[in-house]
Amino acid sequence: MSALESFFDNVWVDALWRLLAVLGLMVIVVLALTYVERKFIARIQMRLGPMRTGPYGIMQPIADMVKILLKEDLRPASADRIAFELAPFLAFVPVFLTLLALPFTAKWDVRVLDLGLLYFIAVSGLTVLGYVFAGWASDNKYALIGALRTAAQLISYEVPLVLAVLALSMLAGSLNLVDIVEKQGRVPFIVWQPLGFFLFMAAAVSDLSRRPFDVAAAESEVAGGPWIEFSGIRWSILYALTEYTNMFALCVLGSLIFLGGWDWPLGLKWGWWWQLALIFTKTSVLILVVMWVNATFPRIRVDQLMSLCWKLLLPLAFVQIFLNGLILVYGWPDWTFLLTSGLGLAAAGYIIYSVIPVGAPSRIVARSNA
Amino acid sequence: MLGVLRSLTETLRTMARKPVTIQYPTVHRELSERERGYPLLLWDSETGEPFCVGCHACERACPTECISVIMKDNPLAAEGKSKRRKIVDQFLLDYGRCIRCRICVETCNFSAIAMNNTWDGQEMSRYDRGELVMDLEQLLAKSKAGEITPWVAP
Amino acid sequence: MLTDQERELETLDIHVNVGPQHPATHGVFRMVLTVSGEKVVDVVPHIGYMHRGAEKLSEGMDYRQALIYQDRTEYLAQFNAELCYCLAVEKLAGLEVPERAEYIRVILTELNRITSHYMFVGAFATDIGVYGTAFTYAFREREYIQEIFDAVSGDRMMYGYFRPGGVVWDVTDDFKDRVRWVCGQTRVGIDDIDRLLTKNEIFLTRCLDIGVISKEDAIDYGLSGPMLRACGLPFDLRRAEPYSIYDRFQFDIPTGTRGDVYDRYLVRMEEMRQSVRIVEQALEEMPDGPIMPEKAPRRLRLPPGEVYMRTENPRGEYGIYLVSKGGEKPYRLKIRSSCLSNLTALKQMVVGHYVADAVVILGSVDIVLGEVDR
Repeated sequence: MSALESFFDNVWVDALWRLLAVLGLMVIVVLALTYVERKFIARIQMRLGPMRTGPYGIMQPIADMVKILLKEDLRPASADRIAFELAPFLAFVPVFLTLLALPFTAKWDVRVLDLGLLYFIAVSGLTVLGYVFAGWASDNKYALIGALRTAAQLISYEVPLVLAVLALSMLAGSLNLVDIVEKQGRVPFIVWQPLGFFLFMAAAVSDLSRRPFDVAAAESEVAGGPWIEFSGIRWSILYALTEYTNMFALCVLGSLIFLGGWDWPLGLKWGWWWQLALIFTKTSVLILVVMWVNATFPRIRVDQLMSLCWKLLLPLAFVQIFLNGLILVYGWPDWTFLLTSGLGLAAAGYIIYSVIPVGAPSRIVARSNA
Repeated sequence: MLGVLRSLTETLRTMARKPVTIQYPTVHRELSERERGYPLLLWDSETGEPFCVGCHACERACPTECISVIMKDNPLAAEGKSKRRKIVDQFLLDYGRCIRCRICVETCNFSAIAMNNTWDGQEMSRYDRGELVMDLEQLLAKSKAGEITPWVAP
Repeated sequence: MLTDQERELETLDIHVNVGPQHPATHGVFRMVLTVSGEKVVDVVPHIGYMHRGAEKLSEGMDYRQALIYQDRTEYLAQFNAELCYCLAVEKLAGLEVPERAEYIRVILTELNRITSHYMFVGAFATDIGVYGTAFTYAFREREYIQEIFDAVSGDRMMYGYFRPGGVVWDVTDDFKDRVRWVCGQTRVGIDDIDRLLTKNEIFLTRCLDIGVISKEDAIDYGLSGPMLRACGLPFDLRRAEPYSIYDRFQFDIPTGTRGDVYDRYLVRMEEMRQSVRIVEQALEEMPDGPIMPEKAPRRLRLPPGEVYMRTENPRGEYGIYLVSKGGEKPYRLKIRSSCLSNLTALKQMVVGHYVADAVVILGSVDIVLGEVDR
């Protein structure tokens, strides 16, 4: 027994099995999310979704995987070979690395970093490199346009994401994810930071290239963007694996830092199974919200995307930071967080409402016949 | 923001509805009685011969010229078993060319040709185009077996 | 002269080929966009990928056979195209159409206008980037109407149901009930799409002031249908020169004020509601009686002469120019395609906008390639 324990105490062994666990988790997540997204969107669209493979099409992700693995790996003759073959991994590895810093429950984590939040944001920002590589190497105009859009988009939206998270870490007084979760105690930070949560989700949806911010992959314009020339396993790594893992990671992060993670409510008291249930539920809710938004909205144009980021989200993020600073410095009571941040959110809604000329009555002139 | 929220509630509302799609190849939608599948020839079970006398009316009326008919003297008429003095000898119908306009059915004076209003008349994919050229036997088979009740225009 | 440094910084306009195989082109339309960054500086449309010679083919057909090609030409508003053709032939032949047939035709034509606009809304929303949700909404509703067409004519797409002189056979017994039900359902369906899209801010940002065309330009380009009415000109052939029995019905002609993509969308949405109104009125008044004239000739022969008939199709003015030299075949059959005329304004609308807008503008024209290329 002690031999076994000491075997697992070995740093390398410990790291290795945790890595493998995360890898397994990732595969499960990707398979599950493929299925969930297809079913969920099918329900929104009043379709049945996959039904053939297994009961209610539950084996569909397996079938998809087998199909993708068996597909021919195509590479355009004029593609930049090294960049083309490197691109999927450049996109995928940062996403995988982000998972390493996430504590799923109080005990279940790979490594808890003191700067975990910063690490997560920093590493996930690298994904863009893979997309730019893919777009450039494909030697395809659609891919190039898509890659440039991705570059602009991901880099821009990284800023409000960082600032929203920064504002939050001011409250927590830490960048350690475990600290942040435990700090939330009785009230999750979403209550104190509704504006921050809104900014975070907006930036996260953009980071995931989901509607309304999916200008990079825009099927109706650039027909898949950076992914256009990829097929088979490379496409799967570049698109399915990366996107879904990224979605999972961001939603776990969101539920950790905004929704109280595995702690709220009663996580520490009731033990690991309750913590697991909590994090699972919260993450699922966030993921479903992202899918729901994805299925509902049209896509905004690339210039509107940029102006939304730089003219609305970024100033609001600064406002949030400023307000938090003000309250923390003067030691005002906690409910002022809710008040100020809520007002900020309302302001955001109003700006979106007023900048776009809606509210104007439908400009239909009807002419009845004589 | 209001419009955005309205859209979101709308999709949420439709989620509660029953899906409207069906599992097509395993579940078939009910076809209407007038469904125009690919045309078939009808079998006169009383005399044991096709209704078609090979008069070429459909051949002339077909917009895509996918029908070829050859007429012959009816051997049964010589024996006195049938009133038809002429009968169809060969009838070729190229389903690959047919556009299912039902003009052949309209023109036929003997009600000898009908549109297949079952699913067999819809699912006609073949690996070889040649297999889509139907001869007399194939065209009559369904009617001979009594598997079709052709719709007659009122 | 540019210095070396400036020359290095000079950017290159690239040509982006959109189509003929591209999700945004609604068929096999091809446009070559010249883009500077994301902005379109030039667009060259290429048509003809779907040219099937419907006009020439019709010359070899008799009048009943030629009708079949109308379905294949305008494959989203088949009844409308058939109606135009039948009216042209009837005008030349001097055929009197029985009342019941007229009403059946109007009901089916207006229902077909609804299905066509449903198709537009679905495809247009997909162009803007909705993940198929609006498309499935529209198609669910479209399917209900399509089932009526199927039950009446026996086919889901290529109806071939109208004939010069009337309709080929009578409608089903439950026709009135089904149409009445579908009218109510259509109102619900339009409201669904309305809630999903019309006031959505994201949708609005994408649509407002995109692809604007002025009233004068619209007339100069020969635009028609919703494209023209979106510019603010209440010109509808159903009202301007009523054909068939359209002078008996109450309906509004929706018009826009700006002539942008959003107005085109609104006009079409409102037109669907007006079509429902027309259908309901027609159902009330639909008489019993024959569906073909008493002495309709078995093989139609037209006197020599020529005729031009135009009708208001979902996409605009659809015209048939028919020349007969006697006999049972047309000497010449020219189809005036509404989509082709509407498409001519593409360059003026697209240039200066973003690539994403080019796709939306093309979607707002609502082209049917079968009709453009004929």
